[in-house]
Amino acid sequence: MAYKVEGIIKYYGDLKVLDKVTIDFEPNKTTCILGPSGCGKTTLLNIIAGLIPMDSGQIVGFDDERISYVFQEDRLIKWKNVKENLEFVLKGNVDKNQIEIIIDKYLKLVSLEEYKYYYPKDLSGGMKQRVSILRAFLYPSSVLLMDEPFKSLDVKSKSLVIEFFKELRSVENKTCILVTHNIEEALELGDKIVILTQKPTRVRKVVDKNIMAARELIESYFKMMP
Amino acid sequence: MRIYSLKSSKLVIISKIIIIIFWIIVSRIVDNEVIFPTIKSTITSLIDIIRGPYFFNVIRYSLIRTLVGFTISLILAILIGVLASVFKVILYIMLPIVNFLSSVPTMAIIILALIWLDNEVVPLFVGFIMVFPILYESVLKGIGNVDKNIIEMAELYKVDRIHVIKDIYIPNILYSLNSVFSSTLGLNLKMVIAGEALSQPNYGIGSSLQLEKTYLNTPAVFAWIIIILLISKFLEGLLNRLDNILHINRWKG
Repeated sequence: MAYKVEGIIKYYGDLKVLDKVTIDFEPNKTTCILGPSGCGKTTLLNIIAGLIPMDSGQIVGFDDERISYVFQEDRLIKWKNVKENLEFVLKGNVDKNQIEIIIDKYLKLVSLEEYKYYYPKDLSGGMKQRVSILRAFLYPSSVLLMDEPFKSLDVKSKSLVIEFFKELRSVENKTCILVTHNIEEALELGDKIVILTQKPTRVRKVVDKNIMAARELIESYFKMMP
Repeated sequence: MRIYSLKSSKLVIISKIIIIIFWIIVSRIVDNEVIFPTIKSTITSLIDIIRGPYFFNVIRYSLIRTLVGFTISLILAILIGVLASVFKVILYIMLPIVNFLSSVPTMAIIILALIWLDNEVVPLFVGFIMVFPILYESVLKGIGNVDKNIIEMAELYKVDRIHVIKDIYIPNILYSLNSVFSSTLGLNLKMVIAGEALSQPNYGIGSSLQLEKTYLNTPAVFAWIIIILLISKFLEGLLNRLDNILHINRWKG
């Protein structure tokens, strides 16, 4: 399945936010969308997820897919414990008898079994975001959208959560799209890095992580922007 | 925390003792059972009332009126509150009604109720007009306070609408209602008793209070007040149980 956005244009009132954005997403790889703050990265992600309409352009491959989403905030339901929070997205989406089995399997996989009956208030910020990432992975989707998922974490828990994400990604095939304004995150997690401009936002450069001097290249493009 | 609660429970006992001492002193000074009865005569009256032939019927009827009235208010508040948040028309129809109920003096409505309604129904109605607007508003508030981010998350994960209602909207409504439960149930009891005092149904704490007042039997009035306090405590205990049933203490941070 090929995933693609083509010539996306989006206005907010008179303000042109996205100006003919075209990106190819490689299946089962992680594409990082790197751009300055406020350039419309979240808008692009919301258009892909079908949350908001676009003014023109085309979205290929995402329409019929189930999509997982990791937000800046954990978005856990506070009166549900970890197990019930995970259960919530599975209800109606997988076979009822499988729900508990799936949850136990994944909790064991990431060694979070002991937190199964914890309520969000008893978990640290990093731990809550881990549960939110786990929710995205155990949901039966082939696409995972992430909107600056590490932004609100402190340095220490951030590196732990990033490791957690990498671990899950290595066992579960999903086409990941990660939006960030952090070069380090993009280099660490992205197979392909798409650099966006300031508003009206276009694609400035697409960099393959595996090429020599990818970091220098990205930094040079990124620094040119205010 | 523990030291604090130990300290506060000590303070509660001390304040109760002070009130009783105050009662003894005032009744000594006044020295008139009709104006301010002594503890002894109040306790004697209390025993007489409890031993009396109608005591359990009186309590039963008042409690039934309170609970039935409260249940009706609760069900209507949830029903209309949910409908009002879905259909704007109902919200706007309810707006002047709720405003009317909360701004017109309760006594005026009670007098109308006395004219229009059966004696047995007046106490229920009186409780309803006080309690319903509070419950209705908190249902609306509960629905309004639903986290839009969580709803968006549920939409993205294609969670069925029925689960969204059951797992997100209803807990929000219950949580919001829970914060006014004990105050409104207590208020309902008080209003039912006031309604009984005015409409004089056959059995009822309010009717009994009114009867004792007519005979200038002040110790019995005091005794009934003590009984009402005990009933309030009982209802409060019942609601604390509800907190545990809803597991609110477990997830509330």
